[in-house]
Amino acid sequence: MPRYAMVIDLQRCVGCGSCSISCRNENNVSEGVYWSHKITETSGKFPNVRYHYIPTLCNHCENPPCVRGCPTQAMHKLDNGITMHDPNKCIGCRYCMINCPYGVIYFNWKNAHSAWKAENSLIKGVTSSPAEEVRKTGGKGIPYYNPERNVTLAGIRPKGVVEKCTFCDHRVNEGKLPRCVEACPADARIFGDLDNPQSQVNQLLGKFRPFRLKEAVGTEPAVFYIRDFSAAGYPRTKGGV
Amino acid sequence: MKKQQLWIGLLCLGILLGLWTTFKVYTVGFSLYAKTDVLVWTLPLSTYIFFSLTSAGLAFISSFPVVFGIKRYEVVEKRTVYLEIAVLLGSFVCLLLHLGAPLNVVYILLSPNPSSPLWWLAVLYFAYFVLLLSAFWRIHTGHISKTLGVLIFLIAIFTSTTLGWLLGMTDARPTLNASFFSFYFPLTGLASGMAALILFSMVYLNLSGQAVSEERSALYNEFARLMGIVAGMVAVLFLWRTISGGISSTAVEYGGFKHMIGSIPYNIEFWLGLVIPTVLMLIPTIRVTIWGKVTASVSLLVGMFAGRLEFVLSGVVRPLGQMAEGRPEIVSYMPTVYEVFVALFGFSVMLLIYTIGERYLKLEAVPE
Repeated sequence: MPRYAMVIDLQRCVGCGSCSISCRNENNVSEGVYWSHKITETSGKFPNVRYHYIPTLCNHCENPPCVRGCPTQAMHKLDNGITMHDPNKCIGCRYCMINCPYGVIYFNWKNAHSAWKAENSLIKGVTSSPAEEVRKTGGKGIPYYNPERNVTLAGIRPKGVVEKCTFCDHRVNEGKLPRCVEACPADARIFGDLDNPQSQVNQLLGKFRPFRLKEAVGTEPAVFYIRDFSAAGYPRTKGGV
Repeated sequence: MKKQQLWIGLLCLGILLGLWTTFKVYTVGFSLYAKTDVLVWTLPLSTYIFFSLTSAGLAFISSFPVVFGIKRYEVVEKRTVYLEIAVLLGSFVCLLLHLGAPLNVVYILLSPNPSSPLWWLAVLYFAYFVLLLSAFWRIHTGHISKTLGVLIFLIAIFTSTTLGWLLGMTDARPTLNASFFSFYFPLTGLASGMAALILFSMVYLNLSGQAVSEERSALYNEFARLMGIVAGMVAVLFLWRTISGGISSTAVEYGGFKHMIGSIPYNIEFWLGLVIPTVLMLIPTIRVTIWGKVTASVSLLVGMFAGRLEFVLSGVVRPLGQMAEGRPEIVSYMPTVYEVFVALFGFSVMLLIYTIGERYLKLEAVPE
């Protein structure tokens, strides 16, 4: 059984956000919920400033505090290392959100995609209402509904339960890459089996010095980051007093 | 009679508002609460913690005669156990309105996870409730069951300390993460349990107009003194928590607690909940008066209620990881009217159940 992991090459990542967009489409993710997101930071003092961009998603930790704390095993580990969630067992206590050090689990405070239920159109008789659009496309809740998501998890998750990235388990089961990996125009996301010494993931981890988010908390994330984007150089110096 | 009708009417109004809130929350959604993805635990949960720890504190008191053989406390045994039941039901109401999918709690039985403190809490509370009902029934029929008393005492220790474990497990939020809470919780629970018992006993004495025997009067004074001592002990722990987690710590993860120091709930907790009851109850001339006891116990309960909110918020106001993206370093919180109604619902249910018991179940009766 493989043990899936992802390497994110920060030198290749251009911060375009196509991972997040493709994730939303693939998994029918609602407004305000981010299975794929980012952490941005700036360093330095003006005019010497630098912008950092770190793409984020569920880390599918080997030692996941969300799974340990879930009272009903709604949050659970699959044999292939994916941290999965079953909305049918979730009681909505949000203890997983409290336990997750990465802030990647979201609670559905209300019905998903509620904006698409509106019947009012912007210009009456000219533009269609969101609800009409949904009806026209035959979508379920949203015009761009992806029925494939429904194979292993509710296509659209109900209100009152949590949700998060699943490494696109429904695609991985069919031998496909997670959608964010496939959609990345810079090939900054590399997905593979940690237990296979020849996998591209292991080749990159052996070539570069990887880091993971908040390693000190001991969760053993399966998302690794390598390199850092910087086209800048600087003249050799020892500084000064 | 008119006063009683007004009281029942007010409680029914509180329950009706609570039922309306329940309907709204489960039809519209939890977006009615002042919650964001950051503030995942707020007033409904802190009210639940307040009730559940008060109930544990009452269980400690009810164990004095049964477990430790201090016979003079038997006179308040029936009232204490009944109050425990009422307070516990109040906590269940708030918990129900905190959970997003309460019907799925059946999976606590069908798909158990013993590595989760939350699972243990659910199991313990279920057992606790059943045992309490059985113990009360025994007392109501004139007997005290030592076995039930011991079991309730043990479960009260486990529930209050498991709550500490539950929060102590959150490595990501050191403000909540402290084994410290495994003894802070039972101790504060004991303080609020004592305050609740004193308050309800004093109100009963005042309303019934009964003459209080010297023996009972001495017992209530002893309770009041104990409450003052416990509140004083908690005040010391509270200050150490402030120093170790808030003032001397350099860890950024304590930012939430540092923000809460000096906040309104923090000050209510410290001054009303700890300082005033300690001072009032350590002055003998005030301690022996009914108004002194009532003031101290109300003050302590209000302080503890605010304290539970301060504690919960200190763990969640600082966004973690990607949740911090586009958000301020500390997220502010003001409860919505629906959250206030949830707390009101819990109090109304608890008080109505207690009032019914006071009216029909002779809580003053002393078991054999």
